[in-house]
Amino acid sequence: MATAAAVLAQPIEPEQASLWSDAWRRLRRNRFALISSVYLAFLVGVALLALVWTPYRMSAIGLAQIYSGPSAAHLLGADELGRDILSRLMVGAQVSLVVGVGTQLLVLAVGVPLGLIAGYYKGVVDTVLTFIINVFYGIPDVLLAMILVFILGPSLTNIIIAIVATRWMDMARLARGQALTLREREFVEAGRAAGARPGKMLFGHILPNALGPIIVQATLGIPAAILFEAFLSFLGVGVQPPTPSWGSMANEGVQAIQYAPHMVIAPSIALSVTLMAFNFLGDGLRDALDPRSRR
Amino acid sequence: MASPILSVRNLRTQFKTDAGIVRAVDDVSFDLFPGESLGIVGESGSGKSITALSILRLVPEPGKIVSGDIRFRNDDLMKMSDEEIRDVRGKDIAMIFQDPQSSLNPVIKTGYQIDEAMLAHKNATPSQARARTIELLKKVRIPAPERRVKDFPHQLSGGMRQRAMIAMGLANSPSILIADEPTTALDVTVQAQILELLADLNHELGTAIIMITHNMGVVAGLCTRVIVMYAGQIVEQGPVDQIFEQPQHPYTWSLLRSIPRVDALRHERLRSIEGIAPDLLRPPSGCRFHPRCPFRIEKCFTDEPHLEEVKPDQVAACWVTMDRARAEMGADDLVDIRPGAGSGVHPGEMR
Repeated sequence: MATAAAVLAQPIEPEQASLWSDAWRRLRRNRFALISSVYLAFLVGVALLALVWTPYRMSAIGLAQIYSGPSAAHLLGADELGRDILSRLMVGAQVSLVVGVGTQLLVLAVGVPLGLIAGYYKGVVDTVLTFIINVFYGIPDVLLAMILVFILGPSLTNIIIAIVATRWMDMARLARGQALTLREREFVEAGRAAGARPGKMLFGHILPNALGPIIVQATLGIPAAILFEAFLSFLGVGVQPPTPSWGSMANEGVQAIQYAPHMVIAPSIALSVTLMAFNFLGDGLRDALDPRSRR
Repeated sequence: MASPILSVRNLRTQFKTDAGIVRAVDDVSFDLFPGESLGIVGESGSGKSITALSILRLVPEPGKIVSGDIRFRNDDLMKMSDEEIRDVRGKDIAMIFQDPQSSLNPVIKTGYQIDEAMLAHKNATPSQARARTIELLKKVRIPAPERRVKDFPHQLSGGMRQRAMIAMGLANSPSILIADEPTTALDVTVQAQILELLADLNHELGTAIIMITHNMGVVAGLCTRVIVMYAGQIVEQGPVDQIFEQPQHPYTWSLLRSIPRVDALRHERLRSIEGIAPDLLRPPSGCRFHPRCPFRIEKCFTDEPHLEEVKPDQVAACWVTMDRARAEMGADDLVDIRPGAGSGVHPGEMR
């Protein structure tokens, strides 16, 4: 009796479950995605901390015996110039995050509008844009990135631009495909019958419906960009010394792998764990935002 | 009679496909008068929806309006720039669609979508729009509108969604509301409520309504005048009462006869119209209905009939007409399906 009365006394509040709160609830239930998020938050914290404090100055040479292994003073050891690897790893996290996130923001800014426009207008616009996309797909990405870095000069901004030039097409294709299907939906016709302008239709109605897959793609694009930067730096056309990048640190380490394996192990593990975390988060987001997996 | 608010003349809308040209709307002319409610009936593929979309120049690809003249008041809609016609859409002529589930954007709050209808035409500031949205939702009888504006479409029932769509259609007080099968996706009790709402709004606000439907019952309940379309053409047109009592085109007659009735005798089979809807790529010669017409004569195979006055205010495109079919060919009388009309039992079948 008492419980029945208590239940009845509860105000009946309709659940304001939007797509996003639903997705958030599902994401929290995904253990891998959750752990990854915690790790990535930690990484962001480390990168921010490195702006103001590192155990040692990352470019200071001769701090320790060169090639010396981990010790109490230098937790991850020292490199071929006797620089503190932990300090360099922390600064490297900045580079990786800036490259990863910066690249994807630019990819979003370029790929999404182009793709939406191509898919929504179809016809000649679509033919031209699809042609451009295919041309970019045809150029080997490492070659294009290296040429761009050579032309523009090897700064962090230019590396980001070079990576965007090789990575924007996937996002454009995704946005185009979304626009192609969404434009046939009745609410688009209804919107046009209500006199909505094309810009409003595209960014106010079609884009919000395509946001799920776009966010997933952007998240999964971050590790790809980080890896690409590491690869470019490994080849020597990435971030220039003395700024450390996990890629260039691994490169330096490989040359001494026989007697100082810690030099290659530290950046490699940082890179792998970060890539994995972004991928788990991306997968988690995909499951959370997929309407078919709604429970 | 007052001058028409909308007048369509010789409208032809065609779809170019790989198989050939589909003449979806083929020489259609009609008028709509202020405050009137006009029904356009026909089977799927008769061209009724494309006629409506043509009025707003929203024919989907690869369709194209090839010729015709569409006048709204004194403006030629066909000659307007894209910007001008966009301003007519939703402001002077609004349209509501069949499926309220998919006509609302699933990721945007319902209230904001109605606000937007006003904001698109710069008819209001955001706060004025919100106030009017709540007022409109009240008018279409949605309970607790202040709460409902914050709901996403999936949180509303089907009937409520269609009410929200109607509210959106009315947002800018249009002079014409085109309703394309607005009740088809709803269950029967909700259908009746929506129709009643549309009828009230028609009387109250004086909004002219074009009701596109395949359901003769809907026309009977709401409209004063009806246009019957078949294979992209108008085959009969006239006042609803007259058409229901004395349809002159055999197609109209067949449509009325095929409505299932609750009080039909149990052994009676459902009547359907024999044959299939015509292939609009290769429409039949002569009268397009002749392959399915029970009263065809030789002339129907070769000569195309044109709309002619068969009764005062009533036109039909038929060489025979039902008056003659009834007198000479033994066509049976119709049962009046209008609400409240007669007992509904065939006199000949009372036993």
